[in-house]
Amino acid sequence: MTPRLPESPTQRISRENELLFFYRGKPFKGLEGDTIATALYSNGVRIFSRSMKYHRPRGLYNLDGYSSHCLVTVDGEPNVRGCATPLRQGMWVTPQNVLGSPRWDLMGLMQFFSFAMPVGFYYKAFHKPSWVWPFAQAVIRRAAGLGRIDPEMPEGVYQNRYYNCEVCIIGGGLAGMEAALAAAEGGVRVILLERRDHLGGDLAYRVTRSNEGIPPYRRAAMLAEAVSACENVTVLLCTSATAIYQSNHVTAVKRGGAGDPYRETYLEVRARSVVVATGAIERPLLFSNNDLPGIMQGSCAHRLARVYGIKPGNRMVVSGCHDGMLEMAADLAELGIEIVAVADGRSSGFDTELISNLHRKGIPFLPGTMARKAIGFKRLKGVQLAPTFGNGRKRWYSCDVLAASAGEAPLSQLLQVAGAKMAYDSAAGQFLPGEFPPGIHAAGKVTAARGEETIAAQGKLAGLMALQDLGLGRTSHIRQVREILDVIEKRPAGRHWTAPPVGSRKCFLCFDEDVTTDQVRDAIDQGFDQSELVKRYTAVGTGPSQSYLSGTNLPLLLADQRGLEPGAVLPTTVRPPVFPTSLAALGGRRYTSSKRTPLHEKQAQLGACFRLTGVWERAGSFADAGLSQEVENVRKNVGFIDVSTLGKFRLFGRDAVKLLNRVYAGNMETVTEGRLKYAAMCNEQGVIIDDGVVTRMGESDYFFTTSSLRAGNTLEWLAFHSKEEDWEAHLVNLTDAMAAVNLAGPRSREVLARLVDADCSNEVFPYMAVRRMKLCGEVDALVMRVGFVGELSFEIHVPASYGAALQDALLDAGKPYCIRPFGLDAQSVLRLEKGHVIIGTDTDNHSTLHDIGLSWAWDRKKAGNQTVGAPALRFTETQKHRQKLVGFTMNEAFRTPSDGSIVVADGTVKGRVTSSRFSPTLGRSIGLALVDPDLAVMGGTLEFYTDGRLNRKGLPEIKTFRGTIVPVPFYDPEGKRLRG
Amino acid sequence: MSFLLTCPNCGPRNIYEFRFGGEVKTRPDENTVSAEDWADYVYLSKNVCGVQKEWWYHAKGCGTWFAVERDTRDNLPVVKEENEG
Repeated sequence: MTPRLPESPTQRISRENELLFFYRGKPFKGLEGDTIATALYSNGVRIFSRSMKYHRPRGLYNLDGYSSHCLVTVDGEPNVRGCATPLRQGMWVTPQNVLGSPRWDLMGLMQFFSFAMPVGFYYKAFHKPSWVWPFAQAVIRRAAGLGRIDPEMPEGVYQNRYYNCEVCIIGGGLAGMEAALAAAEGGVRVILLERRDHLGGDLAYRVTRSNEGIPPYRRAAMLAEAVSACENVTVLLCTSATAIYQSNHVTAVKRGGAGDPYRETYLEVRARSVVVATGAIERPLLFSNNDLPGIMQGSCAHRLARVYGIKPGNRMVVSGCHDGMLEMAADLAELGIEIVAVADGRSSGFDTELISNLHRKGIPFLPGTMARKAIGFKRLKGVQLAPTFGNGRKRWYSCDVLAASAGEAPLSQLLQVAGAKMAYDSAAGQFLPGEFPPGIHAAGKVTAARGEETIAAQGKLAGLMALQDLGLGRTSHIRQVREILDVIEKRPAGRHWTAPPVGSRKCFLCFDEDVTTDQVRDAIDQGFDQSELVKRYTAVGTGPSQSYLSGTNLPLLLADQRGLEPGAVLPTTVRPPVFPTSLAALGGRRYTSSKRTPLHEKQAQLGACFRLTGVWERAGSFADAGLSQEVENVRKNVGFIDVSTLGKFRLFGRDAVKLLNRVYAGNMETVTEGRLKYAAMCNEQGVIIDDGVVTRMGESDYFFTTSSLRAGNTLEWLAFHSKEEDWEAHLVNLTDAMAAVNLAGPRSREVLARLVDADCSNEVFPYMAVRRMKLCGEVDALVMRVGFVGELSFEIHVPASYGAALQDALLDAGKPYCIRPFGLDAQSVLRLEKGHVIIGTDTDNHSTLHDIGLSWAWDRKKAGNQTVGAPALRFTETQKHRQKLVGFTMNEAFRTPSDGSIVVADGTVKGRVTSSRFSPTLGRSIGLALVDPDLAVMGGTLEFYTDGRLNRKGLPEIKTFRGTIVPVPFYDPEGKRLRG
Repeated sequence: MSFLLTCPNCGPRNIYEFRFGGEVKTRPDENTVSAEDWADYVYLSKNVCGVQKEWWYHAKGCGTWFAVERDTRDNLPVVKEENEG
C-alpha cells in the first residue's frame, strides 16, 4: 500500500483500521472506508479488467459504479462494481474476463485484430454453414463476457422493504438536502435516498470556496447534520433509485455494508410527491485511445485524492469542458500533484476566478483545446492536445494520468422513466428532461443548474413545491425563493463540445461493448442512422453501465456525422431499472411460511413425518408404522387423524340461507339442526370447486366445512356473492379457531363413548348426524358422524386450545382398542378404497358435477336462488363428449401407475389417472381416472402409459400397464360399515 | 402496474393488495338463458379502452369486495363507487 496523502477533513478513510483482502490470491491491505477499487489503486493496481470484445486493458474510470471497468468477482459473486462496493475484511477478489491476469491477459492479442472484427462480425462470419455456429458460439462466449456464476457461491441474505411517505427525495447532494429541509418544515414524512454512503454529493469533497462563502465540504456537513436532526426525515444511504412508476412509486436498491445483515435490499417507496435531485455525470471525451488505463473522469481523480487520500498519479493532464475540471486541477496541484496542463474545450464561459487560481499556481491553461490522442500500451504515457475547432497547433505532453471529460450530462434517467421527454438545450449544451408528470419535481444539476446558490435555491423550491402538492405549500415562501433564483447572476455556459475532433479505430464511444466511433460511422453508412437503430446494431449502451456514459455522446455523434444540428437526433429510450438490480434482491428473503395445527407438537411426539400441503404442515405418515398398518388399523380397530386444517365457517344473518343456496348446488332449505348435509360448490362453468358438509345451528345460523386448501378461496367466493346481491350474511372464519380430529374405525364408537356422557348409539346418533357434546365433562365439542374414510367415524371439533388435550384423551380412551394415529397417506388410500373424490385431485378445471358422478348433489328444482353455474350444469348434463371419472383395478395386482399417468387407446391420449394406490384391504392396486366417454364403459380395459427410468439414450422407457373399469366404491359398496 | 386503488374501508392502497374480480356484468336470467348467451356471460369481457366498472377484492387487507370505475388507459383517476364494507 503506497502512503496516503496527508489527512484532510474531506477524507472518509480510517487510517487506524487496516483491512486485509485478497486479490488474485495474494494478500493486500486497504483501509476502512475504501472501496475495492480505491484499495486496489492504492496498492498500485492500474489495470482492473479487460474489455468485452477486444480484451483491451481497462483501469479506474468512475467511482460511482457507472463504468464496467471495475467489475470484479467478490467471494464468488460475479460482476460486483468494485468502485462502489466498500472493502471488507477478508474479501476474496478476482478479476474477470481475463486469461491469466489483467496485466498479462493472453486474450489481449485480440485488440490487434480488431480491424478484422467489425460490428456484428461474429454473427456475419460464423452463420454459414449453419453447423459452424454452435461451435463458434462456444468459443466466443468464452472469450467475450463478464463474470461467471459460481454454483458453489454461499447464499446471501436479501430482503424487500416497503415505505410510505409524503415526499420522497432522490439524491442527497446540495439540492436534495435543501429540498428535504424545506419539505421537513411542513411536518410531513420525508424519505431521502442517496446512492453514496454519505450525504453531500460533490460538495462533500470540494474545498474551494466560491466567493466569500464557507468551503463546500463544510456546507455539506452542516446541511447533512441539519437533515439528520429532522425527526421526520428518513435518510437511506447506499441506495440507488431504479425507477419511478405511476402514482409516484419509487423503487430502489440498497447495498448492505460491512455491518448490515443483508447483502442487498430492494425497496419500494410510495410517496405523494417526488423530488429528483440526482445531479449530473461527466460524459466521456472522444479521442484516440480514450480507454487507456490512466484516463479517468475528473471527479474520479478529485475524489481519489480528496476522499480516499490517494494520489491519482504523478504527472497529470486535464482536458475538460466544465468548471469542475478547473477547480479539480487547482485543488490537486495544492495536494502536490504535478498538473502539466489544463485544456478546456470551451473558449468562453469559464469561471474567471478558477482560471486566475490556475495562473497563480503556474499551471498552463489552454482554452479551446482538448485531448485528441493518447499513447501508451498498458498504461497512459502521453497525451496530444489540439484546438477544439479547426487545425491549430498540436502539443504533446507526457503524463501518467489524464482527467478527461466532455462536460456534464444530467442524470435524468429516473425522470425519463417517469415520462419526461428529452430535448436538446443549446444554451446548456445538454439534453434536458422536460414536462414532468404531476407530483414530480427536479432540482440541481439534473436540470443543468450551475453554481451553489442556484442549486440550493432550486432544491428549496422543489421541496416547497412538493409541499404544495400536499396542500401545505405557502405561496409566499415559493415566491421568495423564486425571487432569489431570479436575482442570481447567470453566466453563459460557453460553447460546448458536441462532436469528436477526430475519428479513429480506438476512439471508444461505448467502453462496455467496445464500440468505436468508426463503427458508428459504418452503421450510419448501412442505414442505421437513429440512436435506437445504432444501439441495436452495434450494442452501444447495452452493457453494464447502461447508457450512463454513452447516452449523450451517441445522439450528438450521430447528428454530427450526419451533418445535422446537435439536437436533431434524440437519445435512446430509458427503461427501468436504471440501476442494476439483482434478481436475488427482487426475490427478497427466502422463507416458506406455513401453518401448524393445534395438534402439531402432539403429533410430532407420535413420530409424525410432516409435509407441506398448501399453507399447512400436515402429518403424512407416522414413523413407527407402515402405511398398510395405519390403513389396516382403521379398518379393523380405530385410528384418528388431525383434520384441523379443514375450512370451518359460521354463517349467520337474515340472508344466510339465500347465500348458501347460491353457492352450493343442493337445496339448503332442507338443512336442519342436528343433521349434516353433504354439499358441493360449483363455479359459473358448472365445474366443482369445493365440497363439505353444512349444518344448521339456529335461526339463520349455519356451520359448514370446506376442504383443507379452500378456506381462503371460500371466504372470497361467499363474500363476493353476498356483496353482489347485497345480502345480509356474515361469515366468520373459524378455521384457525377450532381443532378437529377424525376418529375412525369399527371401535370408534366405544372410544367416543368413554369420553362423553351422551348416548352414541346408532339409533340416537346416526350417520350424518351432528351433536353438541361435552368431552371429558367440560370441553364443548361439535361431533359429526361423517364417513370420508369409509368406516364408522366421528369428526370431533373443539376449540383450538383443547386440540392437544383432545389427542391425549383419545389415546388414553382408545388404548384398549389399539388406537393409533394415521396420516394423509393412509387417509388417501382409505378414501380411495371408498371411492371418495378429492376436489382438485380427482377433478380438474373441466369436471362438472355430472362428470364425477355427483349429479345427485344438485337440486335443479329448488325454490329461491339458483346455484352459481346452474345454467352450465343444465347444458353440460347431456353433453356426450365429456371426460368421466371411472374407478379401475389393476390387472396385475401389485402394479400401480403413478398419479397423472396417461390413458392411451388407439395411439392417442384418452385421459389420465387422477389417483392410484395399492389397497391393503383389497390386496390389489386400485385407482380413479378421468377418461374419454367412449372408454368409460363398465368392465372395459384401460391402458396406462407410465414413464419409467431413462434409458441409455436419455429417453424415458415407457411402460404400459392394464386395468379394468369396475364399479365404485371398491370397498363396502353398500355403505354398511359407514352407517353401522 | 403500480397504481393506487381506494378501498372503501382502508383508503388508498397499493394495487398489489387487491385481486381483480372482473368487469361488473349483469347476470342473465338463469332459467331462460341459452347456452350461447351463458357462455358469452361467463367468458367474454368488454375490455373497453376507457372507463369501466369492475370488481376488486382487498385480498391482502380487509377482505372487502367493492366495485369501482377505472380508466383503463391510465388507471387514473380511480373513482370510489361504493362506500359500505
